[in-house]
Amino acid sequence: MVHGSPVEIPRPSVGVSVPRVDGAAKVTGEALYVDDLPKRDGELHGATVRSPVARGVLRGVRLDPAFNWSDVTIVQAADIAVNTVALIVDDQPILAATHVNHVYEPVVLLACADKAKLARAVRAVTLDIEPLPPVFDMEQSLAKVEIIAGEDNVQKRYLITKGRADVKVEPGAVNGESATAIDAAIAACDVVVTGRYFAHHQEQMYIEPQGVVAWWDTDGAHATGSIQCPFYVHKAFTKAFLLDADRIHITQAVTGGGFGGKEEYPSIIALHAALLAQKSGAPVRMIYDRKEDIEATTKRHPCICEITSGCDRDGTLRALSIRMIMDGGAYVTLTPVVLSRGTLHAAGAYRWDDVRIESIAVATNTPPNGAFRGFGAPQTIWAIERHLDAVAKKLGRDPIDLKEQNVLREGDVTSTGQVLRSSVAGAECLEKAVLASDYRAKRARGPVVSGRTARGIGAAVFMHGAGFTGSGERYLKGKVAVDLLAGGRLGIRTASTDIGQGTETVFRQIAADAAGIAVDAVDFAVPSTTTCPDSGPTVASRTVMVVGSIVENAAKQLSARVRAEVEAHGGTFGEATDRLIAREGPITSLLQYAPPSFITWDDTTYKGDAYPCYGWACDVAEVEVDLDTFEVTVVDFWSATDVGKAINPVMCKGQIEGGSLQAIGWAVSEEITWRDGHITNPRMTNYIIPTSLDAPRFQTILVEAPFAMGPGGGAKGIGELPMDGGAPAIAAAVEHAVGVAMGSLPLTPERILAAKQASERTSA
Amino acid sequence: MSLADLHFFKMTREPSLDALCAVVAERHAQGLATILYAGGTDWMVEQEMRAPLHDEPPLVVDIGRMGELRGISLAGDSLRIGAGTTYLELERSAVVQARAPMLVRMAKDVGAVQIQARGTLGGNLATASPAADGVAALAAYDATIVVKSARGERRIAMADLQTGYKKSTRAADEIIVAVELAPPPEGSPWYWRKVGARRAQAISKVALAGVAVVENGTATRFGVGMVSVAPVTARMATTRALVLGKALAEITAEEIDHAVDQDVTPIDDVRSTGEYRSHVARALTRDLLRQLGARV
Ligand SMILES: Cc1cc2nc3c(=O)[nH]c(=O)nc-3n(C[C@H](O)[C@H](O)[C@H](O)COP(=O)(O)OP(=O)(O)OC[C@H]3O[C@@H](n4cnc5c(N)ncnc54)[C@H](O)[C@@H]3O)c2cc1C
Repeated sequence: MVHGSPVEIPRPSVGVSVPRVDGAAKVTGEALYVDDLPKRDGELHGATVRSPVARGVLRGVRLDPAFNWSDVTIVQAADIAVNTVALIVDDQPILAATHVNHVYEPVVLLACADKAKLARAVRAVTLDIEPLPPVFDMEQSLAKVEIIAGEDNVQKRYLITKGRADVKVEPGAVNGESATAIDAAIAACDVVVTGRYFAHHQEQMYIEPQGVVAWWDTDGAHATGSIQCPFYVHKAFTKAFLLDADRIHITQAVTGGGFGGKEEYPSIIALHAALLAQKSGAPVRMIYDRKEDIEATTKRHPCICEITSGCDRDGTLRALSIRMIMDGGAYVTLTPVVLSRGTLHAAGAYRWDDVRIESIAVATNTPPNGAFRGFGAPQTIWAIERHLDAVAKKLGRDPIDLKEQNVLREGDVTSTGQVLRSSVAGAECLEKAVLASDYRAKRARGPVVSGRTARGIGAAVFMHGAGFTGSGERYLKGKVAVDLLAGGRLGIRTASTDIGQGTETVFRQIAADAAGIAVDAVDFAVPSTTTCPDSGPTVASRTVMVVGSIVENAAKQLSARVRAEVEAHGGTFGEATDRLIAREGPITSLLQYAPPSFITWDDTTYKGDAYPCYGWACDVAEVEVDLDTFEVTVVDFWSATDVGKAINPVMCKGQIEGGSLQAIGWAVSEEITWRDGHITNPRMTNYIIPTSLDAPRFQTILVEAPFAMGPGGGAKGIGELPMDGGAPAIAAAVEHAVGVAMGSLPLTPERILAAKQASERTSA
Repeated sequence: MSLADLHFFKMTREPSLDALCAVVAERHAQGLATILYAGGTDWMVEQEMRAPLHDEPPLVVDIGRMGELRGISLAGDSLRIGAGTTYLELERSAVVQARAPMLVRMAKDVGAVQIQARGTLGGNLATASPAADGVAALAAYDATIVVKSARGERRIAMADLQTGYKKSTRAADEIIVAVELAPPPEGSPWYWRKVGARRAQAISKVALAGVAVVENGTATRFGVGMVSVAPVTARMATTRALVLGKALAEITAEEIDHAVDQDVTPIDDVRSTGEYRSHVARALTRDLLRQLGARV
């Protein structure tokens, strides 16, 4: 539509799959990712010298005297004003100063104009490290075999209690009264099942590795790069450089994927580049190659869950006790928040009368684990889903019947005591996925063996909290600015980044419909800490649901003013806008998020409304297992997913299918392999993510149980949910096909063979 | 380092195979290596893995268009495939489809289509990795490799090619010109099965190549090559002897397993475990022989 043309009412765009705004530039190669940004005058390349040792005392740094260092900038810990990466706990240095705590820990930074010389310079640095015994195993860390962090290696603990286990709050207690109470509650049940489940590391493997360009000028420090959360980097600069907020300018470049991997890590690479830039006086570009990126940056937290549960003979779930450990890696980074989400999802999408969940994150001498799509929930959902499969087996029932019987419904109460008042769609998703996949008939038929392959089918039911946990949004105070622009256009300024998931497009759709204008009459500013307000981080499935609702309200507000002007003095939307601007100067609506008033949450007791609402889903996987090689092929994948309201159905399905494929990779082929704290497969050739040929046929059913406070008529968070169900659905299908119940990920042929041989040995 | 950061190097072409032999010989005499750039799919990966430390840029000769290394022809009972033949060319060749279909099937499992369009049989043989799919397929055909240097041309039987991990009897100055093989009669059974970690872009955990001629229930010709189960491509001498010595229907699963265990020495590495590879080596061999008529 030509803007300014008389009273043409644009068609609503919410619910329509408008093309991605950023699509053309990305497919034609016009989009400038950080490594494509034009070279700045005098620019240098930056590189990092990293520890080859997992744990030790840093005695010194030797520079090869035979090497010509004259054109190489060198930064060490002593050069840094405040040597701390600002996050939750101040335990991580920007550069190791006295100790190293994991292999690949950064120790020295180098910059040089000649990239080949820079590579040689890295080799001309020797780190004198006196090794100390490292701890790689989370249970050994918990057992305090060595104290490697703080007083007891523990990074964070939580305790959730409900019902009879809710005897008193005892954070930190291992065998307190609540443990006795839950044990008693379980012991009184008809059927008791115990299991142990393990979930492994996962690499985000965004297509674009991490990178930043940093420089200093009279305005202060600048950094531009592949960044998910510009204000995190801003905060890190404030702390490290002791700079005023307005002297720091962090801008997102076009970003090729993040999946959480670019949530907290960019602070480190940006600090490194800025330190080199500060010392050299020149702009510095740091771009990791794939190997360095896989080795040094964060991964999904490994997690062990020990679960004991009790239920009635008729399958009614009663009591649940979980003891879980997460491996935080060498520094705390975001581990407390990941552990929190993992803990809050550990009871699954089910009703339990009595619950006790005790969770602990411990340090190990491995690179810090961090944010990854799902944020701890896929690990605990893996465990509870596998556990319920085991309970069903013991009851002699199909798992889906047990899950259907116990899935949370409207009015039910979660493990934190949250009453689910509305937008509860677990049962609906289950029904739709089961129907579409013909699950019941296929289960009843048993595994289909043809030739040397066996086919099986399995399902997982799950929910995922949308938005920040508990009172998070209240502290966060996310803001968005929407400008009223000449001719009746709107300009969105937000720190929420489009990292490939489609934020730019969806925000435009939301704003356009709220204002009653066309999508292409809405602009989206490049996220920058200098020009955009802090909308909170682009994480936690909160962008559309939370930030989108601010966008919606701001657009509504501006449109109301323009429409009032039209009422009063006539003309088109565009003309009225121009009159308003002429009269009042620039007009902006700067709004802050108003969290739903019904939310109550107690951070000390971990009770209340953990999330404003949940997305719900049921995944069904049909697999073929080769009986000779135990290769698992996921043939078909059904997902019925409740998104509240699909703002852009094609992109929404894209998130679900992409997330499901990421879950499939995590389940069957992705595995970080380690030797002495070194990663032995830091390449795309041997860290095996699925290719398009490995993708199953996806059948995605969008379920819409709107959230009253969600934008566009009820949108909920969708980013993380699709990561949760793939692994347990596939494991259930593998169990159906070949009778091997796998409790540990990944389901590689090597592991399935070993498990089968072990079970044959015990049954023999 | 990324490939974009490669040091500058000199890249040339030579007008003929003889001229190429002369250049290679001359540099060889001075202790200098010459990179023969065929598809570049092995060489470029090597460059990326190593930091650009050499100040002396290597000489790279693009042999991609050298006529003498190209072409596929059948003369009498000998199929000759130029060393510069790509996997995609194998897949599309009518002669190879008819007379050496297992090569076609193997080629479809190499990397993905991008690699198939660039990678060559000559490059696969030159690297001589135990993980090379092409080498195993040629081992099953008991092919012969034609090599040439300034000293002249000679032939190396596949059985004599590899001497250890990525080591071969081909001299450093010998250029691989072609492979020759005697194709079994049209319609003869063949076997190719690759087990990798995903459906494309996967280096074999194990792969088995096999060709056979069966007359009256007995194999009169039987060749196999197995990938990634030993320091060199496994030619499976014990298994071959077992199969050639007996009616197929009489071969037992235990005999097969026993023979395979003699023939492979798999290890744990980043791609798989020795235990799994042993299991798959036995399972694939049974599968092959089952298809030939063994009752296992
Ligand atoms: C992503 C990827 C996937 C791959 N997947 C597979 C796979 O599935 N299976 C597999 O077997 N391999 C695979 N490879 C390895 C590689 O593609 C093959 O080994 C290929 O056949 C190499 O051929 P090339 O022409 O590209 O060799 P080049 O890289 O051009 O050459 C490799 C070496 O051989 C030498 N050389 C080349 N031609 C000759 C000749 N005629 N005479 C003497 N020396 C010569 C060169 O000097 C060089 O040292 C893969 C590689 C990549 C990058």
